[in-house]
Amino acid sequence: MIAFTDIVGMDLAKQALMLLAVDPSLGGVVIPSTVGSGKSTLARAFADILPEGTPFVDLPLNVTEDRLIGGVDLEATLASGLRVVQHGVLSKAHKGVLYVDSLSLLDSSAVSHIMDAMSRRAVIVEREGLSEVHPADFMLVGTYDPSDGEVRMGLLDRIGIIVPFTPQNDYRARKKIVSLVMGIRNEEDTQDELRMLRGIIGAAREQLSHVSMTTEQIKGLIQTAISLGVEGNRVDIFTIRAAIANAALGQRTEVDDEDMKLAVKLVLVPRATRMPEREPNPEEMAQEEPPPPDEEQPEEEGEDENAPPDETDSDADEEQEDTPDMIEELMMDALETELPENILNISLASKKKAKSGSRGEALNNKRGRFVRSQPGEIKSGKVALIPTLISAAPWQTSRKAENEKKGLKSGALIISKDDVKIKRFRDKSGTLFIFMVDASGSMALNRMRQAKGAVASLLQNAYVHRDQVSLISFRGKQAQVLLPPSQSVDRAKRELDVLPTGGGTPLASALLTGWETAKQARTKGISQIMFVMITDGRGNIPLGAAYDPNMAKAAKEDLEREIEALALSIQADGIASIVVDTQMNYLSRGEAPKLAQKLGGRYFYLPNAKAEQIVEAALS
Amino acid sequence: MTQTAKAAKKTTSAKASAPREAKAKAPAEEQAVVTEVKKPAAKKKSALAFPFTSIVGQEEMKLSLILNIIDPRIGGVLVMGHRGTGKSTTVRALAEVLPFIDRVKGDIYNRTVEQYIEMESSSRGAGVIKESDVKTEKIPVPVVDLPLGATEDRVCGTIDIEKALTSGVKAFEPGLLAQSNRGFLYIDEVNLLDDHLVDVLLDVAASGKNVVEREGISIRHPARFVLVGSGNPEEGELRPQLLDRFGLHARIITINDVAKRVQIVKLRREYDEDPEAFMKKVTREQQKLQKKIVAAQILLPQVTMDDAVLTDIARLCMNLGIDGHRGELTITRTAHAYAAWEGETTVTMKHVREIAGLCLRHRLRKDPLETVDAGEKIDRELGKVLGEAEAVA
Repeated sequence: MIAFTDIVGMDLAKQALMLLAVDPSLGGVVIPSTVGSGKSTLARAFADILPEGTPFVDLPLNVTEDRLIGGVDLEATLASGLRVVQHGVLSKAHKGVLYVDSLSLLDSSAVSHIMDAMSRRAVIVEREGLSEVHPADFMLVGTYDPSDGEVRMGLLDRIGIIVPFTPQNDYRARKKIVSLVMGIRNEEDTQDELRMLRGIIGAAREQLSHVSMTTEQIKGLIQTAISLGVEGNRVDIFTIRAAIANAALGQRTEVDDEDMKLAVKLVLVPRATRMPEREPNPEEMAQEEPPPPDEEQPEEEGEDENAPPDETDSDADEEQEDTPDMIEELMMDALETELPENILNISLASKKKAKSGSRGEALNNKRGRFVRSQPGEIKSGKVALIPTLISAAPWQTSRKAENEKKGLKSGALIISKDDVKIKRFRDKSGTLFIFMVDASGSMALNRMRQAKGAVASLLQNAYVHRDQVSLISFRGKQAQVLLPPSQSVDRAKRELDVLPTGGGTPLASALLTGWETAKQARTKGISQIMFVMITDGRGNIPLGAAYDPNMAKAAKEDLEREIEALALSIQADGIASIVVDTQMNYLSRGEAPKLAQKLGGRYFYLPNAKAEQIVEAALS
Repeated sequence: MTQTAKAAKKTTSAKASAPREAKAKAPAEEQAVVTEVKKPAAKKKSALAFPFTSIVGQEEMKLSLILNIIDPRIGGVLVMGHRGTGKSTTVRALAEVLPFIDRVKGDIYNRTVEQYIEMESSSRGAGVIKESDVKTEKIPVPVVDLPLGATEDRVCGTIDIEKALTSGVKAFEPGLLAQSNRGFLYIDEVNLLDDHLVDVLLDVAASGKNVVEREGISIRHPARFVLVGSGNPEEGELRPQLLDRFGLHARIITINDVAKRVQIVKLRREYDEDPEAFMKKVTREQQKLQKKIVAAQILLPQVTMDDAVLTDIARLCMNLGIDGHRGELTITRTAHAYAAWEGETTVTMKHVREIAGLCLRHRLRKDPLETVDAGEKIDRELGKVLGEAEAVA
């Protein structure tokens, strides 16, 4: 076991954990990092710097709902005849740490329960005849690999600190950790250092209530949050708490610039949805140019009529009058050092390409997770044995008495039809539709509007059937996930509305991105996946183009081989496909039908196909 | 005081309960009908909720909730919007400003004397219970929290396992639906609720009754509640049938006014430091709000509306292509409640204008390619209807 003080590198993550140790009301720390970077070693070492006896609960990814929330302890209940409660994992973490490795792979219902517990600081158990409230005021420490998928925004909103994702740092840290594992440190030094660190944190906890912050400073932080397009007001409190905790660590009584910079870096920047403008000038505000292709649309657009970005900026301008320039400058400095050119690379909406890990494949064969049981008939599903026994148990005395009265002989256990409980599986609820929309230059010629219409009606149907949708567009050098799997038609609709067109057709990249999205979804228990490709099928950009501009031009045969290999693998992986051909009749060279054939999917010719027909095909 | 908090002692103190079951060894034929109904354990007072009157902004949500207190027939409210904007804080704060209701003393279904006599008479025979024999008590309007992980048996009620195990008696243990009768039923993250629970809710909300049928148990009890749901639309969509159940739909967005946000932060920090002192400071305001709500409740029966206004409402709904009559009905009721809230006894189009968005936003036909916001569309049609009305006049 490597101690907290022995871990070199990952300074920001360490700082973040120290702030949390000082002020647990920061809610938690999330550390995104690549495999083998030592993030989980660090997270586990967090216990070292907490007061002795603080609970540290490791949450297994496959945790069931009743283990998470708590429920009836069957054995003890049957033995005593009294209802005995078993506390869930969440309440066991009360006043301590709940640690989740691979946070982004956690089942969505488990995420919902964690969110609920965090907002109440308690778990409400309303299950199997129990009605209780268990305190569950815990700090959540989560680590995850962004290539496994992203963590749900709702959960992140309840966690104060998100350590910025910096792959280079991790690499350095890894090298040093290796040298540590080789045994350079001596145990006594380590223990001394840890004792000292615990002392510092203890002192900082006491200092916390003596740290003050000016209204101007609070205003500065809030303005930064607004200019970064951070959603919600809860984050303000976290930012202020982080700054104060850092001041307390330094045994200061006033928050200074460094504290504020750190708070911006750890709380606000990772939630940014847009780049702040340094000096918004009126001309720029008036123009209505489409956004540059790589930049994500601010979330508010289309939804947030009361506060479009322009208005926000002017608000901020007005406020500047009564905020000292110094604070504004300071915030901007902090941002400039932290924000790379393309905000997407560090923001949590990161859509970085990455290879699916081996873990994803291992879980692929799962047909969803057993979540809970409900009354049902034996024929209608798998019988959940224990819940069935639980529901039969209480009746045994009265049933035996009844049988005796009727002169019937009773066996050891009398189970009636009403007792039978059926297992419910999480993934039975729907299909994931991955829409891949060709937004290349040639599509502009073709029928973008019609294509959008077809997608829209499919979305509408997916919505009614509680299916999930994901939206991928491909244009230019590579495909881009506009919307990770979600049930939100609103978001898909918004993304579709602003979809720009133009550039080459990176069809191979689209197939690969779609396949990766499918694999990620499978690790989360979605087994039915359907690709809906809206394209003319004329791919002209090879996979390598995204990484090496010299590869942009490739021979036609190479392109075809790439697409064929991908299409066959996707088909072999059991993913169903529909290809909707958007090509004008007189231009067609039959590329789209060929693609459909390689994918083993169905083919539709858009100008002839009615949206309803496509919907029908997709749902059948 | 949220009503969800319950004493944990229920499970551990059960040792003492064994002797009390002695009388339960009744002949089997009597057991065919449920003989007993278990009383829920005394509720522990939960931690203080952030006070309603100290919540800055988000007027739409606050108004929707208040109108539903004034007239529970409005049909509840769905609050959807950005993360971290105080949705659940506001709903949980509601409990503190709710008025009191009369119920039969200790009645787990919160029944009125009339309901109690009517229900009990049907099983025990008419005239057995006299009104003068029934004692009543005052309780605050209950607010029941339905957590996402709730199982169906706890929502609807089930047999009392403990009693069945120890004595073999079939006793009914009421669920959350019973507790929420005549009160509020709140579901946070309602868009993530399991489909089979949604089915249960739709059923009960439509009939106002909860029916539990299971081997030997046959219970039917009133379950009329104001359904309050909240969630973030980006996490998932709500089933259309459930969406339609909500009377009002309030939208909530991130406040982008720096001064307001500074105020939010300051209030919150002050509260976190010493909740009790903070609550003391706002007691007067809380009481003032409660009184205003009660005054509106009293005024409500006197509020009237001209037929001309009703015609305008109907025209508005028609122009917007809203199916069914729930739109008109909701607007009418909500406008009455709003007028009462404003201390007025006549509903005018001025009132309608303020609440039309709340009532209709979620009833417009959903067109995935529509870019115009529902609220804007309603406003526009409202303007047209008002223009027409003026021209006629």
